[in-house]
Amino acid sequence: MNVLRWWWGLLLAFALLALLRVFLPLPFANEIIIFSIYVIGCNFLLGRVGFISFGQPAYLAVGAYGAAFYLYYFGTNAYVGILIGIAAGIIVSLAVGPLFVRLRSDYFALVNLALAVIIYYLMQKVLADITHGDNGLWFLTNLSSTPVLDISRPDQFFIFAFLVGFAVWAFYKYIDDSIFGACCLATKINEDKLRFLGYSSFNIRLLAFVIANTTTALAGAMYAVYLGFVSPEITSPARVADPVVVTILGGVGSLYGPIVGSIAYTGMKDLLSKTFGNWELIIGFLLVFIMLAGEKGIWGTLEPLLKKAFLRARATGDAADRGGSSR
Amino acid sequence: MTNNDDIITVSGLNVSYGESKVLFDVSMNVRPGQVVACVGRNGAGKTTLLKSIAGFLKPTSGAISSGTTNLIGMVAYVIAGLGIKYIPQDKKVFSDLTVRENLELGSYATKDYNWDQVTDYFPKLKQLMDHKAGYLSGGERQMLMIGRAILGSPKLLLVDEPTEGLAPSIVMHLKDVFRELSKKMALVIVEQNLPLVCAIANKVYALKEGRIMGELTDRESIRPEMCEKYL
Repeated sequence: MNVLRWWWGLLLAFALLALLRVFLPLPFANEIIIFSIYVIGCNFLLGRVGFISFGQPAYLAVGAYGAAFYLYYFGTNAYVGILIGIAAGIIVSLAVGPLFVRLRSDYFALVNLALAVIIYYLMQKVLADITHGDNGLWFLTNLSSTPVLDISRPDQFFIFAFLVGFAVWAFYKYIDDSIFGACCLATKINEDKLRFLGYSSFNIRLLAFVIANTTTALAGAMYAVYLGFVSPEITSPARVADPVVVTILGGVGSLYGPIVGSIAYTGMKDLLSKTFGNWELIIGFLLVFIMLAGEKGIWGTLEPLLKKAFLRARATGDAADRGGSSR
Repeated sequence: MTNNDDIITVSGLNVSYGESKVLFDVSMNVRPGQVVACVGRNGAGKTTLLKSIAGFLKPTSGAISSGTTNLIGMVAYVIAGLGIKYIPQDKKVFSDLTVRENLELGSYATKDYNWDQVTDYFPKLKQLMDHKAGYLSGGERQMLMIGRAILGSPKLLLVDEPTEGLAPSIVMHLKDVFRELSKKMALVIVEQNLPLVCAIANKVYALKEGRIMGELTDRESIRPEMCEKYL
């Protein structure tokens, strides 16, 4: 592992997130961080394991409702709510994972989509007595102050979200550099050959599935705590493509992709919705244009240009140093 | 007949792809230290035989065992864990991973991190460690695949058409490598290059249309023209 590159990447991610707070309104910055955590799981599944999932909102809802049920009915500590959301994500991923990861990528996409629809109707109709259907669960006033960082307050929630986002990013960076990360990529490239080496591709895919969806559930629980409200809209069939679109928009497979994609997508949404009535239509056209202009996504297109600029700047600096020392 | 000392015993093996039967009542055995060659024209069933042993295909009937362990019904990764490694013929490595990462995958599965044994056989891999495997030549990929498979000191290597499409100099190098490897492990090599297999094999099975047509077991009879008689 290239330690220098690792730390360089961390610093860059840290700086990027810090900039959010300085230049952007607090709700917008919080939204971007949570959305980045949401998308990073999808990015891992698509870029590392080769699974396209149109069911990520299902796991987002599992995490959100896990936290919401606790905070509405049982307790007031937001940290505990988030932990329950994570636990719900693990349980649901382990329950459906052994069935889903056996499927090929196209069927995997559809079966996850079906799960998102099932959870949507469960929350909207079947469990309406406890979820309050479309009205949702409101519990912002239930939240008590939490120790160390009072995450019931938006400004302190930002620091918490920032640290969680940072930890999630570092965790995925660690996975990418680990043997497990190589196994995930290997199973995407050629599953059979991985078996010939003595690995169970099923176990690798299942673990990757659980990790990715638990991350998504974490984002869901954070949404719940931040907004103090959860409704079935979180897993609406109209939103199932969001994380896949943002993953591709940011750049599949790169850890910077989800952050860049989330900033671009949330930014576009925010800007356009303030200015135009039918802003979704404009976003649709913009996305088509961005995909056609650079099919590697924003980060995939920018990265080689930035590298080239960096190398050129370093070469110029080295030449200037040599010139200075020879004089 | 099953012998507990055999590394692999195949008896009465029948394998089909759907309605199409590919192997008919195939029996063979591999003893420790043996280099066994399976020769035959395209479509003779050689690759199917190796894939069946490696646990990748489920036979319709017959038995495959390693010592006293029955391999029928075992999945491929468990068989690999028993020290029976399959090297497929398509030379497809994990192209997005570096040579180092490809070897790490082999090491982690077997807990064998002694890469000297690999670089002793294939010194060229030392210079290619940080290259993406997708950019290697056919010969270099074959070296990587063999190198990765020998980590963990398997008891049997199943090598499928290792010299197909390679330059003569690399074929000669691989011949030497197989000779050296045979001192440590048994090999089953599927190959159409008869002079090569006759130079290194202790036993040859000639396959034709899914059946074993002949078995050559003494060094005197293992000659290309003798093999051709059966094909």
